[in-house]
Amino acid sequence: MDRRGFLKAAAIAATGALTAPRLSLAADNKTLRFIPQANLANLDPIWTTQYVVRNGSLLIWDMLYGVNDQLEPQPQMCEGHEASADFKTWTFKLRPGLKFHDGEPVLAKDAVASILRWMARDATMGGPIKKRMDALEVVDDRTFRFRLNQPYPKMLFALGKSSTPSLFIMPERIAATDPFKQITEYVGSGPMRFNKDEWVPGAKAIFEKFDGYAPRSEKANWLSGGKRINFDRIEWQIVPDVATAAAALQNGEVDWWETPSSDLVPLLKQNPNVAVDIADPLGNIGSFRINHLHPPFNDVRARRAIQIALSQEDYMGAVVGSDQALWKTLPGFFTPDTPLYTENGGEPLKGKRDYALAKKLLAEAGYKNEPVVLLVATDVGITKAQGDVTADLLKRIGVNVDYQALDWGTVGQRRAKKEKPSEGGWNIFHTWHAGADCVNPAPYIALDASGDTAWFGWPKSDLVQEKIGAWYAAPDLAAEKVAIAELNKAAMDHVVYVPTGFFKGYQAWRKNVSGVVKAPFPVFWDVTKA
Amino acid sequence: MLSYIARRIVATIPVVLMVALFVFSLLYIAPGDPAAIIAGDQATPADVERIRASLGLDRPFLVRFFDWFWHVLHGDLGTSIFTNLPVTHMIAQRIEPTVSLMTLTLILSLSLAIPMGVIAAWKHGTWIDRAVMMTAVLGFSTPVFVIGYVLAYIFALRLDWLPVQGFTSISEGLLPFLRNLILPAVALGLVYMALIARITRATMLDVLSQDYVRTAKAKGVGQRGVLFLHALKNAAVPIVTIVGIGFAALIGGAVVTESVFAIPGLGRLTVDAILRRDYPVIQGVVLLFSFVYVLVNLGVDLLYTLFDPRIRY
Repeated sequence: MDRRGFLKAAAIAATGALTAPRLSLAADNKTLRFIPQANLANLDPIWTTQYVVRNGSLLIWDMLYGVNDQLEPQPQMCEGHEASADFKTWTFKLRPGLKFHDGEPVLAKDAVASILRWMARDATMGGPIKKRMDALEVVDDRTFRFRLNQPYPKMLFALGKSSTPSLFIMPERIAATDPFKQITEYVGSGPMRFNKDEWVPGAKAIFEKFDGYAPRSEKANWLSGGKRINFDRIEWQIVPDVATAAAALQNGEVDWWETPSSDLVPLLKQNPNVAVDIADPLGNIGSFRINHLHPPFNDVRARRAIQIALSQEDYMGAVVGSDQALWKTLPGFFTPDTPLYTENGGEPLKGKRDYALAKKLLAEAGYKNEPVVLLVATDVGITKAQGDVTADLLKRIGVNVDYQALDWGTVGQRRAKKEKPSEGGWNIFHTWHAGADCVNPAPYIALDASGDTAWFGWPKSDLVQEKIGAWYAAPDLAAEKVAIAELNKAAMDHVVYVPTGFFKGYQAWRKNVSGVVKAPFPVFWDVTKA
Repeated sequence: MLSYIARRIVATIPVVLMVALFVFSLLYIAPGDPAAIIAGDQATPADVERIRASLGLDRPFLVRFFDWFWHVLHGDLGTSIFTNLPVTHMIAQRIEPTVSLMTLTLILSLSLAIPMGVIAAWKHGTWIDRAVMMTAVLGFSTPVFVIGYVLAYIFALRLDWLPVQGFTSISEGLLPFLRNLILPAVALGLVYMALIARITRATMLDVLSQDYVRTAKAKGVGQRGVLFLHALKNAAVPIVTIVGIGFAALIGGAVVTESVFAIPGLGRLTVDAILRRDYPVIQGVVLLFSFVYVLVNLGVDLLYTLFDPRIRY
């Protein structure tokens, strides 16, 4: 290339560089760049119960029923259903025209195979249905039927539940995968296809619009209604560092950040191009999880000592800071501002904290200064904050606390150990439960008090189990409320666990993005970008 | 020379083997359970147990080790527990950002640090020397992530010249490639630059006091010729040594830098894998890093012969 040729080529290249931003701007409003709450390391919503996987799956797979913002299950893939008067026979019919991403029609056999795989892993609702089930049969291409030997009035809620594992409908060949092994094909019938070729786990996940999707005619409302996507492409960008994520949002490199750190929210609120609002109105419930198997907390008096000494204000201040809009005290187990919320039996968590009485109760329970093992996942802000407050609380009531700073992966392993605390077991760990999972007992695994088969801590109370059963049998909302009030009191009296308060989180997005709603999961339908 | 290279490459095999055994043993005794992470908070203890069994994590140590090692010998680093993707595929996806970052960092660091060290030695005791040394101390003592945040704040948020995060492949154009990498490379390179500048200065000071330098000056060789042809070449052996040793620091720094700038490289892959206890990925990446480190040091040894003909293998 001679000098003139070089100059000419350079001029063309420079012109190209100048015009490129205009071209990309035109295409830019068809691409949504989103920072999810965590890394999307896999995409099997049955194999794993991680929320981030459920959130990605909501784009790829559709559900038979979907809850709206009143937590009512609405038909989604189903056209409708028929239930027998005794709630033992449930017949469902699929909508016509449903298609998988590979072009195959969605048939009743796909739904049946998907239900069977889900049942094998869903201990809260799928498992109980399976136990009652005589048959789950294909009637015709669009119809399938449950035949149960006991009534199950909560069937629609089970099929549409948003807590993990949710029931997603996959092609029969994929749903036939062992539920304890990962699927390798991501073919659904949801509004977006997953682009596996561009997937870099830990960095990005790409979803592309599925033109064959047939949305319902109703307006979208959480997981129900017409899921209309206004983007050709949704890019999930994994940004592990919160300061970098905040900077990227301010700089316009991403459009929407699912879980901004509460520390950075004041900074984001100052930016005129960024909108900030509560993400999930159902929030979260902090948990002081107690091991019921070993002293001192195998004695209910020791558990009550914690209940009357624990200050939820202290915990919430440590978890979310001074922003009063983000938290409230919670003298109960169920999600505030939902139909079944109750404070019945919650008195021990109200009023002045009584350290003297707590010490007395501990002494009565036979506590003699043995080390109490507190597992603290220091790599997760919420558990670290709660753990620090607990260490202080335990010292105040004269407990010899053995604070074990670990990462979440290790806490996950240690909490499964039933051995004595001195032999690798534990007495206390902290976590939190999504408010969406605490609206009723069905998805609320942490409230189960069945002993050996209960969640970590293994609480055992026949009365609690009886009240859970009463809720399942309740024929209407009024009866459900009675059952839940009694359940709340029984669980409080037994101290199944101690709630440390109710807290919410923020989400943030660029102001050229509209249609972002408050929900327990990111809702991409009806979102637009100018 | 060729037989020396062959012998050194053969010698890397037991080193890499030892690393493999060490890493595998360390992961085996380390606490943590990928099955519990996969199952999530809503899963029952029985589910966690079944997942552990399906992943083969309930098998004895030796069975797992030899199974893994047998596959490694066949070029198969295994499959990620979490993504179900082959580890080699995951490494291949991440190698370009890390190699790009390290290469750019090396180019930036060497092209600035060596002249800085030479000039500091030449102007020994002057304000230039002190300024260079002060910069080196600052580079040494400031953590990489602090430098990263400050650079992102100034050049991305305030001036809006460069992006905060991400990576663009060189196949999409040199300019976008450099726009994404320049801040991380500077952040990562400052420590390296400080290290090399200090060593260059110290070695040059020593060399500049040698008789042959005085002779060169007496023969009328110009200042530039003395510094860069006579002195620097003789100071090169310690400099090259420190470049090789510093490569380990560069790998460690890349882990932090990739997290701060959200670069999808091997450093982030390692951190993610460690946090999740994705054993096959951790083992694969550590093996790769150890192999590369051994090769870099072999390269350094070979470079000695280039700078000092008295060294023969």
